[in-house]
Amino acid sequence: MSVDFLEWLQGTSVAVAVAEEWFPLVESVHVVTMAIVAGTIFIVDTRLLGLTSTRLPFSYLSERLLPWTWWAFAGSVLTGTLMFLSNATGYYANTPFRVKMVLLLLAGVNMLIFQKLTFRSVAAWDAIRPPAAARLAGTLSLCLWCGVIGFGRWIGFLIGK
Amino acid sequence: MKLLAFVHWLSSTPLSQLIQRTSWAIPGIQVVHILSLATLFALVLNLALRMAGRGLTAEPLRSLAARFVPVVWACLSVLLLTGSLLIIAEPERTITNQVFYLKMGLLLVAIVLLLWLIRAARREPENPSRLKVAAAAVWMLIWTGIIIAGRYIAYYIA
Repeated sequence: MSVDFLEWLQGTSVAVAVAEEWFPLVESVHVVTMAIVAGTIFIVDTRLLGLTSTRLPFSYLSERLLPWTWWAFAGSVLTGTLMFLSNATGYYANTPFRVKMVLLLLAGVNMLIFQKLTFRSVAAWDAIRPPAAARLAGTLSLCLWCGVIGFGRWIGFLIGK
Repeated sequence: MKLLAFVHWLSSTPLSQLIQRTSWAIPGIQVVHILSLATLFALVLNLALRMAGRGLTAEPLRSLAARFVPVVWACLSVLLLTGSLLIIAEPERTITNQVFYLKMGLLLVAIVLLLWLIRAARREPENPSRLKVAAAAVWMLIWTGIIIAGRYIAYYIA
């Protein structure tokens, strides 16, 4: 990505307003929405591993929780984008930021594979311990989201407040 | 001032010195703190929704509370432990910070409401009365306030 474009981004009025005034609030909302995203995913993932909520069908649990995950994720993307704009050149050059984006992408790919392949046979395992492919998806998801949070916190330590 | 003397004493203790000297310790402890708060927040969100007659309605509130509340306590314990370590590491950041006391005040109210919810969940039959819906909404606002206050500790200069 060109430096000119990144510099233009962080010079926009929205970016300047976030950098000069709104950063703490935007970051706080990012933490709240992140908590809903990660927390609901942990509940669904541990069900996928057959460890929790075993008396609830998997499809029911995910149907009830995932709308919260998606709305909160939209909030996280919005607040995350605002934070990125406030210091686009800094974030772009920040290694933990890059790793976090890759991990988010991998979490998305993992979810897509699960949805398109494993979840199609959900009727066969909805009320029992999910098959190995589902448990693998759950394990990967747990690890990837812990990584997203870990590298996310690390970004702030290198970029300063 | 006594509080400042306490802050200085605390930051001179071996444990505080050890955390200060270990470069990855503070971010590491914070990540554990954040993972616990995310788990806790999603669990209390589901308890609050269920109390308001929504969310995981296939399971009675009594049963949902029996499953979720012990994990909420476990998360709170981890949060208390990691939070204490963060205070010991950087006492001047929190002990003289008014936002920290606001956060602790809100936490106390959230825990009182948790105890009330535990009692309400045991009582049958359950009905999402207006009081329960309102309490559930206030409870979520308080937990949200705790998270926001926690982040503002880093920005508020006492």
